[in-house]
Amino acid sequence: MMDANDREVYRAAIHGDRDAFEMIIRTNSRALFAIAYGILQNREEAEDAVQDALVKAWKSRWRVRDPEKFPAWLSMIARHRARDVFRKRRTVPLSEKMIEQIEPETADTSGLDRQLHSALAALPELHRSALALRYFEELDYQSIEKLLGLSNGALRGILGRGLASMRKQLKPALASLE
Amino acid sequence: MATIHDEIDNYLAADLHDELSEEERSALHMHLVECATCRRAHQENKIMNKILEEKFAAEKPDTAFEQRMLAGFRNRIPQRGAGVAKFIVDLLRLRSAQITAVAAVLLALVQVGRMITGEGATSPRHRKTFELAQAPVTRDQEYETRSAEYKAALAELENLNKQVDAPALSSDAKKEKINERDEKIADVKNRERELQAFASAKVAPTKMPQGGSAPEDASPTNERTIVAGLNIPTAEEVGQNPADTYRRDEVTRLGVRAPTDRIQRIPSAQGSTAPETGNEPLAVMAAPASKTSPTVPAALANRKLIRNASVDLEIVSFDDAVQKITAFTNEERGYVATTSSEKQENGKLKGEIVVKVLPENLDRFLQKIRRLGELKNQTLGTEDITKAYFDSESRLKNARVMEQRLIDMLKKKSDDINDLLQVEKELGRVREEIEKMQGDLKFWDSQVQFATVTISLAEKDMEEAAKFLLKERAQLALYSPEVEKVYNDIKALASLKVQITNAQLDRDSSGRVSARISMLIVPEESDGVIGKVKAMGRVENFQMQTERVAQGGEGMSENAKTKRDKVELNITISRDEQEQAFQQTNLRIRTSSVDEKAKGLRSLAEKQSGRVRSSSFSRDPDGREFANVTLRVPMKNYSALMQSLDSLGKVENVSVQRQDRTGAQIDEANAPADLSIQVYSQGNIVSSNAGLFATLRRTIAQSAAAIMWSLRMIGVAIAFLAPWVMALVAVIWVTRRIVRARRQK
Repeated sequence: MMDANDREVYRAAIHGDRDAFEMIIRTNSRALFAIAYGILQNREEAEDAVQDALVKAWKSRWRVRDPEKFPAWLSMIARHRARDVFRKRRTVPLSEKMIEQIEPETADTSGLDRQLHSALAALPELHRSALALRYFEELDYQSIEKLLGLSNGALRGILGRGLASMRKQLKPALASLE
Repeated sequence: MATIHDEIDNYLAADLHDELSEEERSALHMHLVECATCRRAHQENKIMNKILEEKFAAEKPDTAFEQRMLAGFRNRIPQRGAGVAKFIVDLLRLRSAQITAVAAVLLALVQVGRMITGEGATSPRHRKTFELAQAPVTRDQEYETRSAEYKAALAELENLNKQVDAPALSSDAKKEKINERDEKIADVKNRERELQAFASAKVAPTKMPQGGSAPEDASPTNERTIVAGLNIPTAEEVGQNPADTYRRDEVTRLGVRAPTDRIQRIPSAQGSTAPETGNEPLAVMAAPASKTSPTVPAALANRKLIRNASVDLEIVSFDDAVQKITAFTNEERGYVATTSSEKQENGKLKGEIVVKVLPENLDRFLQKIRRLGELKNQTLGTEDITKAYFDSESRLKNARVMEQRLIDMLKKKSDDINDLLQVEKELGRVREEIEKMQGDLKFWDSQVQFATVTISLAEKDMEEAAKFLLKERAQLALYSPEVEKVYNDIKALASLKVQITNAQLDRDSSGRVSARISMLIVPEESDGVIGKVKAMGRVENFQMQTERVAQGGEGMSENAKTKRDKVELNITISRDEQEQAFQQTNLRIRTSSVDEKAKGLRSLAEKQSGRVRSSSFSRDPDGREFANVTLRVPMKNYSALMQSLDSLGKVENVSVQRQDRTGAQIDEANAPADLSIQVYSQGNIVSSNAGLFATLRRTIAQSAAAIMWSLRMIGVAIAFLAPWVMALVAVIWVTRRIVRARRQK
């Protein structure tokens, strides 16, 4: 359950209170950024997407009747916006194999970073967003679930699978690091 | 049940993220001790976690992120002043505001509906009470303002007096001042009189016949009479000021009468109460009414009223009526002022008598006059000239004062000849004015002294006709083979007693001739001439019309003479070919040799002195032959011809059409009869309509027709639906625009 103070802020924002909405921007924009980053894997783009999402949310705030659902709705808008940006971006992130072809496996950090990047890219979008929320904001599982609109307990599986698949992809690199 | 080993990935991740419960963690650690694979995975996961933490820490937005977001937001959505529109939009988002708005709209609609159906929001009784309560208040206010004006005028007059008496004034200036003062005096007097009249009128409502003691009581009194079940006039009927209406009515109607008389009269004049029905209201009314009575004669004495009446009477004998009126006039101590009479063409008399009687005898006089004959119209009018009269009177007094002053000036013998001339001129003007005003007053006095009754008299059956004129009009249509000959013969009939008013011979491009002749015949000759004309050709139509025209009046009259006017005869002559057949017969004859039989038909017709008017021959693709022949024979030979037709072949489908002309005198034996005969052969037995191709053709044609028909129906359906669809689309479009506009805000 949302605490009464938060709900009051959301309610005021829905009714057009600008100050309340700015308050929400302060508290929620990082989470939104995490979600957008999870989809786009690009900071600038993610920031723009969050910005757009906030503006859009303000304009259509009257659509939300229940203040409880405001954060989830906000993150949904951010997700949609980020996906739009992603779709417009024709350049698809390079797949792992191509990277391997271009550059042989190395142990240096930039190579690891690239590998990590492509491993993340290979993950489903939802998994990436969950990871981003976890590692950026260090939110607990429950909050993440609420933000992403997941059912109770679903996140554990998602994060577990996400980490495992990354682990498998980065196995050689990890072994060298050990 | 899934073991920890199966779900090791989930456990490991949750462990790293510190999301495991106490039991789960101990269970995991136990398993890790046992299972080497999982331990390995655990190790790798730890490294993974670290790498990820580093990676994300690098990508993490900087501290100014929120500020950037806020700035961007403010930049893109500038803060707007609390506009009215925004306020309304925000307000409308509240549920309670929405409900109120809907309620308001509904109420407005109800109100509009009421206005359209004309149903008043307030009941008539409410309105009436309101106005009654309102009237005395406004009268009081008016009285206040008038008295204030009067006082101001008095003060001004005082001031002027002082100025006139001031010694240091030139003669011109003094004169001017004096004029000014005189005007002021007249004005003050007027105001004073008005104020007095107003004051007496203002007292009146307090003594209304209903017995209300004060203006505030007007509405309760009103209510009481409603309870008594009486018919109270509405505020509109009574007028803006009920008390005033009552007074004038009273004064003109009653004249000077006994107080007891008044008690009965007052309520009926008001039109509201009935002493016969309500016992209790009568008692209430009687007392105040008797109190009012002394004020009325006093008010009446001040009033100058001119009474006029006019009466329209229909009488049997004019002279009798005049004698009686004169007698009545003498009885009422009046006199007959003028009489005039006029004799109509039909011997009836009508005229006008003007009688002067004393005003108080007017009513009685009118009653008497009414008995003389049938009353057609009566008007009774009263003109109140009180104000004008007293105005003139006071102006006269002023003028006299002025006159005296001018005379005094003359006596002083000023040295200046110009001044003297000026004064002389002024004196002349003032005297002229005085004379005019005196004349006016005298005239008014005479008018007031006697009431004028104008009596219009007319004898019964005033409009009776003086004589009748019998107009005869005849129409004749002739057929003749030689139109021109007949035309000339008829023209030759012209003489003194037969006038040809119009003669016309028309010949059109196809050589057809027709003629038209109009003539006027003296009544004695008419029958002979018409008979002669009829003999000149075949009469197709003859109509005679007689009209009796009343002259010098209208309606029936037993004594009026009847005179026969000239007979008007219109003749049309046309060639007999143009004549319509008296009888039209259609028939078909089936035979094997069409051409031959058609020729036989010709000779048959000629035998019966008939003529072939047209004929045609045709053959169709199936080998059938047709011959169409039209014949005309005289009626007397018709049946003989019909019988002889049987010899030609099988006669089929006979239809006969006869045009009987009612009222027309025609020569039936010689009237033309038309026959339209079709001679035809059977042709080939097998019709080309049968067979494969014909069937195919028909089928295709029919299916094409069906397709066309359905196309037409689709068109109709589109035409029917299109406006609705367009309207719907328009509504949706507008709605979406509005929604979008709202969202943009």
